[in-house]
Amino acid sequence: MGKQMTEMLKGTLEGIVLAILSGRPAYGYEITARLREMGLSDIAEGTVYALLIRIEQRGFVDVEKIPSEKGPPRKVYSLNTQGQEYLEEFWRTWSFLTGRLEELREGGRYHGSRVD
Amino acid sequence: MAAEWIEKVTGSLEQKKQYRQHRARVQGFPAGYRTAVEAIERYLTYFGGISKGDTLVRMLDDLADLFEQGAADGTPVRAIVGDDPVEFIETFLQNYSEGQWINKERQRLIKAIDRVAGDRA
Repeated sequence: MGKQMTEMLKGTLEGIVLAILSGRPAYGYEITARLREMGLSDIAEGTVYALLIRIEQRGFVDVEKIPSEKGPPRKVYSLNTQGQEYLEEFWRTWSFLTGRLEELREGGRYHGSRVD
Repeated sequence: MAAEWIEKVTGSLEQKKQYRQHRARVQGFPAGYRTAVEAIERYLTYFGGISKGDTLVRMLDDLADLFEQGAADGTPVRAIVGDDPVEFIETFLQNYSEGQWINKERQRLIKAIDRVAGDRA
């Protein structure tokens, strides 16, 4: 993954993780696995974990410790009402932003074609 | 009573106990994971600037949780920290900014600008 991709993902990863959790509750490793399936293969598990701590602190998720057969208990994260509201706001912002960027791209192309 | 003034001089004994428990916990990690945690902790000591004991203890606990789980799952250290460990640890550190000594100065800056701008109560 290129540097530009990493930079752009930084601002959207929170929304992506909340969107994954809106499907069903998950623990950290499952979320990283899901991102890898989506082709976002270079995102470190630690980065996802740091983000989960943040969305927990902001009150977007509820956390439950589930005992596991081997190893320490796992923290399972589920989206709560506040998180759901934030996710809706994220999608509205996303639509607005991509709309403006598309306009900019179309505009660029239009001016480009006028040169010749 | 005695404990109270001792803590004023030495800092919280409870936090010292938690810190010792944390050290013992990390000692129990498989070698590679332990070395990675210690390297990250070293970086956090230089760069983190965490002056609040309770925040520091919470941060170290969260870090240990991540590596303990990673070791149990057999997740390679590289997959935990990623290609850029500095990037990872600085993202991680943002969660504990309220415990950084610089936070006092951040609040002072915000207030000073608020006062001259006069646009906020």
